[in-house]
Amino acid sequence: MSEAVPQNAGYMVAAYIIAAVILVTYAISLFRRTRGL
Amino acid sequence: MTLAQKGRWTTGVGLVLLAAVYVRALAFTPVERLQGAAQKIYYLHVPAAIWTETAMVLVGVASIFFLFLKDSRLDSFAAASAEVGTAFATIMLTTGPIWGKPIWGTWWTWDARLTSTLFLFFLYIGYLLLRGAVLDPGVRARYSAVLGICGLCLVPFIHFSVYLFRTLHPMPIILKPSSPSLPGPMLATWLFSVAVFTILYVGFVMQRYALARAREGAQHV
Repeated sequence: MSEAVPQNAGYMVAAYIIAAVILVTYAISLFRRTRGL
Repeated sequence: MTLAQKGRWTTGVGLVLLAAVYVRALAFTPVERLQGAAQKIYYLHVPAAIWTETAMVLVGVASIFFLFLKDSRLDSFAAASAEVGTAFATIMLTTGPIWGKPIWGTWWTWDARLTSTLFLFFLYIGYLLLRGAVLDPGVRARYSAVLGICGLCLVPFIHFSVYLFRTLHPMPIILKPSSPSLPGPMLATWLFSVAVFTILYVGFVMQRYALARAREGAQHV
């Protein structure tokens, strides 16, 4: 008998959101700091 | 086109491709049977970890050459790579515990891999604080180079810690002597993500390096 796949998609969504926020925030920070260069 | 502008374009392309990684990972990559959807955190956690460690290796190598050659461009590159490495380390240290909670049943454990990785993060923070605290450019570059070389020495220990100690952290399933243990579609998604994180690292460093060079030029005016 096969076991059910664990239902933990919420953790995956949280991790993907946090990674996107960090990368986009850092990209915006660099965009602002290098404006005019 | 200036280096900062090239960096902005590279970062922009990287962010668009990151969105494609998200679509591929979430919608077109199979769910692992034992771990469930949480396994997909792997496609962000491992590329971020690879570039956290690689960025510190590059900081260390640039620092060694700086101490011999006294070329301020090497110091600027080390500063740029350290800041970008800190951003990737933050991703690694947040996505890791989020994966650990449903799979291990705990957010954190003080095993060799996790503890040494946290130490690397603190080393990154210390490096950035040191650069902000020392005003004299020559002294700052020399002290930073020493700390960068310490970071370089730590990276092999982190990588091999899963072999040297009993740890809860999984063994490598791709970066190991034998062939990867990941099925084809999952491996393709992972390789795609590593490529995109590489583009983002390059784009970020180009911009940060341009900023460091501009600051260096302003100090000599």
